[in-house]
Amino acid sequence: MSAQEKYQSLLELANQNGTTYELTEGDNGTLVVTGTAPSAEAKQQLWDEYNRIDPDFKSGDLILNLATGEAAGGGMHTYTVESGDNLTKIGKKYGIEWKAIWDHNRDILKDPDKIYPGQELKIPM
Amino acid sequence: MRIKFLTLLSIAAMLFLAACGKSDADLAKAVNDKLSAEKIVGVTATVSGGVATLTGEVADITVKNRAETVAKTVEGITSVTNSVTTKPLPMATPAAADPSLTGKITENLKKAGCTGASVSVVGGKVTVTGEVPGAKYAECIQVIQQSGITGIDNQLKKGS
Repeated sequence: MSAQEKYQSLLELANQNGTTYELTEGDNGTLVVTGTAPSAEAKQQLWDEYNRIDPDFKSGDLILNLATGEAAGGGMHTYTVESGDNLTKIGKKYGIEWKAIWDHNRDILKDPDKIYPGQELKIPM
Repeated sequence: MRIKFLTLLSIAAMLFLAACGKSDADLAKAVNDKLSAEKIVGVTATVSGGVATLTGEVADITVKNRAETVAKTVEGITSVTNSVTTKPLPMATPAAADPSLTGKITENLKKAGCTGASVSVVGGKVTVTGEVPGAKYAECIQVIQQSGITGIDNQLKKGS
């Protein structure tokens, strides 16, 4: 099994929580993931998943080199609401609490339980 | 009477087939349309007897998995054979020469309070030895992995 297969759930999680990354191959098939996570929480999620797949990071087949967007100055990301979304679900994608999204979108949202497909929400990074 | 019955039966059978049978070609088109709608590039579907076979080469395994998930959602597809491959990855290059990486990692370990760990770097690959408190362990490994290395031999022990 390649390292990419072994760590596929980690890469899926990165796509879900808004982490951007590039893959390269290091020493003897080592998977090197170099990227930027949108928040410290998102980065921690990925490290937790790494620890789950490879307890105590002993195998030496993955180098996870992540910076956080916060460190780079932060800013806002725009998320377009899809059918079936709610603030908690969107928050999970970015590793943040629903309330953080609510706080940044009170100007366009009247009720945190009512969001509609196509609405553009500001996501704090 | 008997002939009439058979005629009715065959008409019914034809109607049934027409209603349930999307041809393989139709299904293949549906899968390929859906793949491009989902912006999955480099994957082609063929369909035989309702079974979709995906081929092509993609950037990473998550795209391969997503292609399979998308193909399964197409009505009439009974199963998916995923023969998509992932592109060979470019070689990683160490962020700096070995002595400078060693110095940088040692300094960052000290800053993070991981003084029990020591590293040696050969060709971008780090060997970590020593012992750090269990509560610090993950953090110390993070510090090392975030320094631009291309390999790791982790012999670091967890202390109490």
